[in-house]
Amino acid sequence: MEKIDRLGWAAGFSFISYGRRIGVRTNDPAILGCLQRHLPPGWKPSSSPVVERLYSLIVGGPSSRPNVRRLNLLYGDTTRLARSAEIDEVLLTFESNLRLFVAEAARRRLFIHAGVVGWRGRAILIPGQSMSGKTSLVLALVRAGATYYSDEYAVLDERGRVHPFPKTLSIREHSHYRQTEYPVETFGGRRGVKPLPVGLVLVSPYRAGARWRPQPVSAGQGILELLSHTISARRQPEKALVVLQRALADASIIKGARGEAHQVANSILERMKDEG
Amino acid sequence: MNRTEQPLPRARRANLVVKELTDETLVYDEETHEAHCLNQTAAFVWKHCDGRTSVARLGRLLNQETKTARPEQVVWSAIEQLERSHLLESPVRRPADVPRMSRRELMRGLGIAAAVAVPLVTSIVAPTAAEAASIACSPAGGPCTSDANCCAPARCNVGAGTCFNP
Repeated sequence: MEKIDRLGWAAGFSFISYGRRIGVRTNDPAILGCLQRHLPPGWKPSSSPVVERLYSLIVGGPSSRPNVRRLNLLYGDTTRLARSAEIDEVLLTFESNLRLFVAEAARRRLFIHAGVVGWRGRAILIPGQSMSGKTSLVLALVRAGATYYSDEYAVLDERGRVHPFPKTLSIREHSHYRQTEYPVETFGGRRGVKPLPVGLVLVSPYRAGARWRPQPVSAGQGILELLSHTISARRQPEKALVVLQRALADASIIKGARGEAHQVANSILERMKDEG
Repeated sequence: MNRTEQPLPRARRANLVVKELTDETLVYDEETHEAHCLNQTAAFVWKHCDGRTSVARLGRLLNQETKTARPEQVVWSAIEQLERSHLLESPVRRPADVPRMSRRELMRGLGIAAAVAVPLVTSIVAPTAAEAASIACSPAGGPCTSDANCCAPARCNVGAGTCFNP
């Protein structure tokens, strides 16, 4: 850390996110506003000089030597996280790494990698890996009238209720790996505000051409499904099991591959209406 | 081993987080980071594996509790699954005179009640934080133009345009 500390840091700030104190410093004060746009939803500024995680961003640019360009560098504590000529790529790494840190270390919250929408006072959770079609299904449900909570994390409190994590929707368009961010309002959607009890868990990865015939899953199997997408599962297994047990106490859990999101969205909401 | 030398299975208790649900039991293994869901029958057998109770006696206890047909076969099926899941202290050898039955044979033998009576242990490996999360980066083998595109510790082979694990 000492070597990094000796570099010329011109600006920085600290903030609190989900109970964790995090610091950011940079050699270029002009980038601070840009960095703040990549912080997790709900962050609050902090005046504390003591932080649990410190990000250091060295902004590159032209060098005094001819034909040499200094790269942008990002460190998380002492680990180099990114090294690139493209500052946008470095900022993307900052955002995803920061979210992961917060998700794993959050106090009093359990983060599950899942899309979430609200419908008639209850939450629909869509756990899944990257590229399993979570965002597509969240978007189709929002277009069908559901309220947007998140396309990345289901954030559960100790009572098992789901809180919004209202980031912009990350939509993959021209490439499998690159995503473009859109506010949910772009699609005529509304953001959820209140915490909701879980009504339905959909373990339903996308498979081209699949006919959707989901089967009910037991509470225990449902907890395993969610645990396999829980960020702090290894770090806090007991807490995870307790929270998941509470979350699924009155929830239905169904499993089965699905085809196109827009073809199943309405039947999912109908199912919630029938069970509600 | 003959029938007079009945094995005495003993359940593992150390470094396990156990949560009881209405009809199932969840077990998280802090050594292997595996999580298991035991259905009612598997949980019943596991709870009675105290190192003093023989498999035959476990079968009788199970029969008293659930009126299961072929209780000893059911207990052996549970024990084998528990053993595979590292939920027993040590391996338990099935006596040669107790025939091995597949899960399907067992279900067929138990008939309509099989769905409940046949022991089932379902397992997952709990993910690391990075595995559980959606990260805006490419894994090894994914496309990249710089290290920033690759999920750490993967690096970018700029010439090939793909991430690789160093």
